[in-house]
Amino acid sequence: MSAAETCPRTEDISALVDNELDGSARAALDAHVAGCAVCAPVMAEFRQLRTRFAALPEPAPGVDFADLVDRRIAAGAVVPKSKPKPRRLRWWQVAPAALGGALSLSIGAYLGSALMLGSQLTAQPAALQMAAFTATPPGTLCPALQACTGL
Amino acid sequence: MLVSDGPDEVWVRRAQAGDRKAYSELVRRHQDPVYRYLLRMLGSHDDALELTQDAFIKAWQALPQWQPEAQFRTWLFRIANNTALDALRRRKLVEFVPLEDAFDAPSSEPDPERQAQAVQEVRQLEASLKRLAPEHREILLLREVEEMSYEEIGRVLSLSEGTVKSRLARARTALIEIHARRRP
Repeated sequence: MSAAETCPRTEDISALVDNELDGSARAALDAHVAGCAVCAPVMAEFRQLRTRFAALPEPAPGVDFADLVDRRIAAGAVVPKSKPKPRRLRWWQVAPAALGGALSLSIGAYLGSALMLGSQLTAQPAALQMAAFTATPPGTLCPALQACTGL
Repeated sequence: MLVSDGPDEVWVRRAQAGDRKAYSELVRRHQDPVYRYLLRMLGSHDDALELTQDAFIKAWQALPQWQPEAQFRTWLFRIANNTALDALRRRKLVEFVPLEDAFDAPSSEPDPERQAQAVQEVRQLEASLKRLAPEHREILLLREVEEMSYEEIGRVLSLSEGTVKSRLARARTALIEIHARRRP
């Protein structure tokens, strides 16, 4: 396990190496790291990593992309995509949707009220609900006949 | 003013007006870093060549949407990074093609032994980078190679500065771990 994995200040040390800490935080962390056996190796590792990255070669493509890209653009295969403009809708484009919405709402309201009414009508006293379990002889198909006939 | 002088923004405006020569100038200015970034993200010279072209074509197509508030460089890297991630997802690349042959040793080392050691270190770092998760590799390359600030990295990767800070620390820790495991 590396020192960076056990150090509680890894994020700040990383930001310190990147010069992304402000003055006071930087000074405080610098002072802490100088005397901390856990943080000091982390700082050293991060700085070493930076040195290694700096030593990376800068490979060149060896190709002029400007020419290649321009040829593709000139061939007409590629055209800039213009910014999509917000479409202004006309009343006849909106009317069917509005009409449909209004109709749906009306049907919904009608069905809702019908259901409410139905539930009130079919509300049965507890005695009727239990009628199916009584010792009434078969022949009366509806267990709640009184409720049916009462409608 | 020389032919290729001036900030990117001037050239972008001209390119937005359809000036292909202005766009070619922008491509020339940024082609090497974009290629280098894609090469290290994908690990293959051929893929990097193809995707660099694709990234510049996508940028040309998206040019009408470019806003002056956005730095052209970070805007372009955002496109390049998305192109790289799309390619990685499409090809499901986990292990990359070896890079060793693509790089030359730093020529400033006079001592052959030190030169060999430097080459070895570069190869080890390249190999360790290839084993990093793409989200760690991208952020490290943007910081350590492209030397972008946290704010710029945030714009390229659509992250807050706080997330950039914590992800960079995790990426460094992960790379050091991989590097340590690979050492003989």
